[in-house]
Amino acid sequence: MKAVLRLVLGLLIAAAVWQGAVLAFGIRPHILPRLEMIWGAVLQAPHAYWQGFLRTLIETLIGFAMGAFIGVLNGVVFFRLPALRDMLLPIFVVSQTIPVIAFGALVVLWFGNTLMAKAIIAFYLTFFPVTVNTLLGLNSVDPRQVDLLRSFGAKGPQILFRLQLPMALPQIFVALRLAASLSLVGAIVGEWFGDTTGLGVMLLQAMYNENVVALWAAIFCCAILGTGFYALVAWVERRLVFWGAEQ
Amino acid sequence: MQRRALLGTLGATGLFPAIRPAGAQGLQRATLRLKWLAQTQFAGFYLALQRGYYREAGIDLTINPGGPNLLTENLVATGADTFGLSGGTDSVFAARERNLPIQCVGIAHQQTPFVFVVRNNSPIRTLQDFRGKTITTWFTGANYVLLGMLAQAGLRQGEFTMQPQQVSVTPFVDGQIDVVTATRYNEFYTLMTRMGRDNLRVFVPDDFGITFPRDTLIVSEQTARDKPEMVKGFLRASIRGWREALADKKAGVDAVMAVAPTLNREHQEFMLEEAGKLMVAGAAAQNGMFWINQDAVKAAHDFLLRYEVIKSAVNLPAAYNNSFMESLTAAERGV
Amino acid sequence: MSRSTWRGIIGTLLVLAAWEGAARGFQLPAYTLPAVSDILAAAWRTRAALIPAGWLTMLEALSGYAVGSLLGIGFAVLMAVVTPLRGPLLPVLMAINSVPVAAYSPLVLLWFGIGVASKVVMVALAVGFTVFLSALAGFDRVDRRSVDLMRSFGAGRAAILWRLRLPAALPLIATGMRVSTVRSLIVAIVTEMLGAYGGLGWIIYQAVVQIDFVQVWSAILVASCISLAFFGLVGAIERRVIFWR
Repeated sequence: MKAVLRLVLGLLIAAAVWQGAVLAFGIRPHILPRLEMIWGAVLQAPHAYWQGFLRTLIETLIGFAMGAFIGVLNGVVFFRLPALRDMLLPIFVVSQTIPVIAFGALVVLWFGNTLMAKAIIAFYLTFFPVTVNTLLGLNSVDPRQVDLLRSFGAKGPQILFRLQLPMALPQIFVALRLAASLSLVGAIVGEWFGDTTGLGVMLLQAMYNENVVALWAAIFCCAILGTGFYALVAWVERRLVFWGAEQ
Repeated sequence: MQRRALLGTLGATGLFPAIRPAGAQGLQRATLRLKWLAQTQFAGFYLALQRGYYREAGIDLTINPGGPNLLTENLVATGADTFGLSGGTDSVFAARERNLPIQCVGIAHQQTPFVFVVRNNSPIRTLQDFRGKTITTWFTGANYVLLGMLAQAGLRQGEFTMQPQQVSVTPFVDGQIDVVTATRYNEFYTLMTRMGRDNLRVFVPDDFGITFPRDTLIVSEQTARDKPEMVKGFLRASIRGWREALADKKAGVDAVMAVAPTLNREHQEFMLEEAGKLMVAGAAAQNGMFWINQDAVKAAHDFLLRYEVIKSAVNLPAAYNNSFMESLTAAERGV
Repeated sequence: MSRSTWRGIIGTLLVLAAWEGAARGFQLPAYTLPAVSDILAAAWRTRAALIPAGWLTMLEALSGYAVGSLLGIGFAVLMAVVTPLRGPLLPVLMAINSVPVAAYSPLVLLWFGIGVASKVVMVALAVGFTVFLSALAGFDRVDRRSVDLMRSFGAGRAAILWRLRLPAALPLIATGMRVSTVRSLIVAIVTEMLGAYGGLGWIIYQAVVQIDFVQVWSAILVASCISLAFFGLVGAIERRVIFWR
């Protein structure tokens, strides 16, 4: 409850600063519009914003789920098979150096203008940090604890699920929180390869029509989606990683 | 050809097909890839779709919007999309030069769709006055048009500053630059609303004898060869949609706003008005919309060849196929 | 060279061979997927344009990276020390961060112009948040009891930060910074594609318009090489600084 109050307080202060600055310095609307203009734009077509929000949300969720799953899986496999890690990790790194916009046309070619095309791009952005952090977390597990469990007769999978993965969870969640943001980026950028609905489409349309009010309206929708999703991941983290040092 | 067919199947129906009801029996499934997001620059296509004219022509059409870095020529060449409304004569030349198997079967904008704008109170009154001034333009073709215009006026490169134009016209509005490039239907609207029409002076390329037909309708060579009836049906339905959109602009804007409701209606009305003017100008006035004016194409081709934008001559009859338009009756073309 | 390096090279070669094989074997046209050999040849042929563009993009990315890292760590330290700031400030920062940087690009281009400054700002924005989140998570990682213990010995906030929190946070900060290397280059390129006077993104944009896909990929090749070198460098520094792990 306290956290919610703080959030509201923070947002109110930010809104007051915004509105105050616009009014006090007479900032022109095409640089920073007044907040009620943005709100008005949303109210004019609430259904469209809601549709766009939902569409981008679904793409983000699918991409995130795929990225998280494959990422953790990769991390575990690489941890168990160092030879494979040495061979594939450099390629993963290389793959991450290629900007999505460069091969987005290929994704459209293969998947068409489908939800899946966007989810794939979101996946592409998320799986790598999760892989790296899972590997890092697994590597940082104290080998003496592993030896101890083994001396009690624990098998590989048991050690993995009872000790190593739980110990790696804090690290994994750092990546998952990052992935929550990145999957949204992927979904939005994915929509820049031709689509009809979604927040990314709205951003693009507003950007090129120089409709700054609509641009901010879309940015706010992204912020709500991103913050909400991030908060959800952080909430799950607190429930699961209760030993993480919470202040 | 198998390779392309495979890619086409992968793209069109794919592993994750765009899920559509299978009820459309007897209809040929096809897609139209636009050069940009839904806006009234494409109103006629949306209206024709809404009113079922493509279905009447036996086509179950899906309209796919474009986006930055998405090349219509590429998607049509690989078979991912059937029809494309691509950049213009310039991009068709570039595609043909790179051996992309595409063909232009109609041209929407008969005149150069962009103009060069200066402030009315600026000392720039003729092209000679561009000397020493700062100009922003798109380095995607418009720059060559301007270079050509200025060369006619006796100005050489280096006698003026030409910079790439970013997404915004604000630097011009704020007075940081002297000349800005604007499409008649989009950037010009922003300039007008921010500065007022009376405060702007316009240099029109066509007035200086340089015409760049743009917004080209393309199909793959395979489609042109194997499905001529579908291409004809598509043209017929599109022309009908466009004529009705221009006759009843509200219906045209509504058809687009139904797809993209967050657009600014006034801007879209302006865009349809201006795009319409470009579409019925020149050769379209006598022969109907989408008519390919081979002379204008040849002039644009020779111009780009002279500036070495295209390195070698393009086989124009193979690249620009007006036979589909010619096969339509005068009534179908609306003349 | 170590065994892992050899394995990395073998893996990379295998993928490149598969790529080349697919492009040649299926005779894929350049507009679908150009062959590796063609890309390499084009990169060499157009090196006069690619090298200066690579330098420019690299400088933008490095400057933005430095600014972003400093700001990210600075903000994290601030929030670790002045905890009351966290309540109101963190949600606002989170909200700003949750919007993809690409969405800010039109505004940043509008405010900072089309030159180098806008790219540095965009990179700093992207890198800053990643480093900030990692650092904050790192500072929070210390055991509550250790903090209490140090406090009972009379240690102040600064001492706890320096002795306890910073060492605990370093690995996470390092990971964040390593992940950011690659992003910094991509963000610089993407911003260049939207508006610039030069750089790899500008070349890519031009090449897409001219339907020159081999050129697109050769620019990407240069970008990848720079990213990898940067990534390797930061990784090497990381290993030396956090040697006790």
